[in-house]
Amino acid sequence: MPMLKAEDVRFDYEYENEAPQTVLRGVNLTVEKGSFVALLGHNGCGKSTLAKHFNAILLPTGGRVLVEDLDTADEANTYPIRRRVGMVLQNPDNQLVSTIVEEDVAFGPENLGLPPEEIRRRVDEALEAVDMTAYRDHSPHRLSGGQKQRIAIAGVLAMHPDCLLLDEPTAMLDPQGRQEVLDTVCRLNREGMTVVLITHYMEEAALADRVVVMDEGVVLADGTPHTIFADVEKMRAWGLDVPQPTALCAALRDRGIDLPADLLTPEECAAALMQLLTDPNHRKA
Amino acid sequence: MMKDITLGQYFPGSSLLHRLDPRMKLVLTLLFIVLVFLPQNWWGLLAVLVFLVLVVALSRLPARLLWRSVKPVLFLVLFTAVLNMLYVHTGTTLVQWGFIHVTTGGLQNAAFIAVRILCLIAGSSLLTYTTTPTALTDGIEQLLSPLKWIKINPHELAMMMTIALRFIPTLMEETDKIMSAQKARGADLESGGLLQRVRALVPILIPLFVSSFRRAYDLAMAMECRCYQGGEGRTRMKQLRTAPRDWLSLAVYAAVAAGLVVLNGLFGSVLK
Repeated sequence: MPMLKAEDVRFDYEYENEAPQTVLRGVNLTVEKGSFVALLGHNGCGKSTLAKHFNAILLPTGGRVLVEDLDTADEANTYPIRRRVGMVLQNPDNQLVSTIVEEDVAFGPENLGLPPEEIRRRVDEALEAVDMTAYRDHSPHRLSGGQKQRIAIAGVLAMHPDCLLLDEPTAMLDPQGRQEVLDTVCRLNREGMTVVLITHYMEEAALADRVVVMDEGVVLADGTPHTIFADVEKMRAWGLDVPQPTALCAALRDRGIDLPADLLTPEECAAALMQLLTDPNHRKA
Repeated sequence: MMKDITLGQYFPGSSLLHRLDPRMKLVLTLLFIVLVFLPQNWWGLLAVLVFLVLVVALSRLPARLLWRSVKPVLFLVLFTAVLNMLYVHTGTTLVQWGFIHVTTGGLQNAAFIAVRILCLIAGSSLLTYTTTPTALTDGIEQLLSPLKWIKINPHELAMMMTIALRFIPTLMEETDKIMSAQKARGADLESGGLLQRVRALVPILIPLFVSSFRRAYDLAMAMECRCYQGGEGRTRMKQLRTAPRDWLSLAVYAAVAAGLVVLNGLFGSVLK
């Protein structure tokens, strides 16, 4: 069943004294419930703009966006949609509202007008889900970037969404913070959460079960990470990188070494190389 | 250099004062200000002083905290005292030299006012020492809720306060970064006259403003993403509840006020 559906979505940014700038030129995309989609594309390709259409922050100038059959263009649907589709932004500092961690997590459910006991229950549960219960009384500005981003995720989880949109959530984090956030996102996905992850890190995209590449406001490619990253030439032509193990295998293949094209993780790559090195039939001079 | 800033002045604790409802604490602080201005004679002022010492003892705050809040106003206290000393001319003359004319009445007035201001500052600083900024904001929001009738939205005021408090450390850190960046590019922030120094601040303030606006835009979007629609239909996780101790404290304050009025009647006024 589809969670999110974009049907021929077009979007123009209107300016006061200038010609409108077209950002989306007919995007068709369906995100199934429970899936983990990575959205790739270089800066300005329209991926963030598309994400903002999925929780009714932006409304399409053409076509339509459906969230579980709710049309984002209908104003009565705005808040039901935002409750279902939670969004986490790039800069963790700019999305925390309160000076105390647990009160920040409570912000969403408070806006939904839930009774205090229910809010308390959800806050505890959300902090538990991102493994930040120990920091409930802390002030956000004393936390690390990864911790702040997990608080932001908890703040969204407390609204009990069905889908998480993450707009480059790891771009401003150090490697450890990135890993914390990715582990959390992967775990939530395994527990049934639909995840749309916008990222510039190909290793992160390799974790998804589907990769969508955008450029110039349209979807260029759509498939599993293995099929998308296998075409190293094409990815580079689109101005995108491939995961390092895939790049290594591609470079070795160029030298005439027989390796599969769709290796994504260091483990897969190491296994293939190991096999190659121990198998006498494949050994080359 | 700016790493040691604290949010508000909250000093963590679990004393009676810490546990009072923030709304009641706000009311009590206003009452205390009235208490400080009630006494007209030394007996009354002594009573206020004793009461203040008792309240401070109850709050279990270290005395150096109160000293810290009083220190910045010492100059003001001294200035007011000197003015009182020079302009009140009752009682016997002690010094008469040019325009300086000090009398016993003047000295008494000066001392009285000085003690009064010091009590005022120390007493009201107890509020911010024993209340977290969030509790304070919640208290203000609820105390001001009657303002709805004159079309002022206390929720919005409280929200602005919360966000301001939240972003003070963030912007401090950013200011630090910008200053380092500008110094690295040869900006001179530490020499020259006043005008020159003010001018040197421009390359720091402009990037700070630009980035604040960007943050504000991001935050507004993040709040919308989390279904923020203003105060309408919003509930709170932490409900403020008054306990018997709150009403008891109010009763004590009222009793002290009544006592001070009686002392005024018994001993008359020493103030001019």
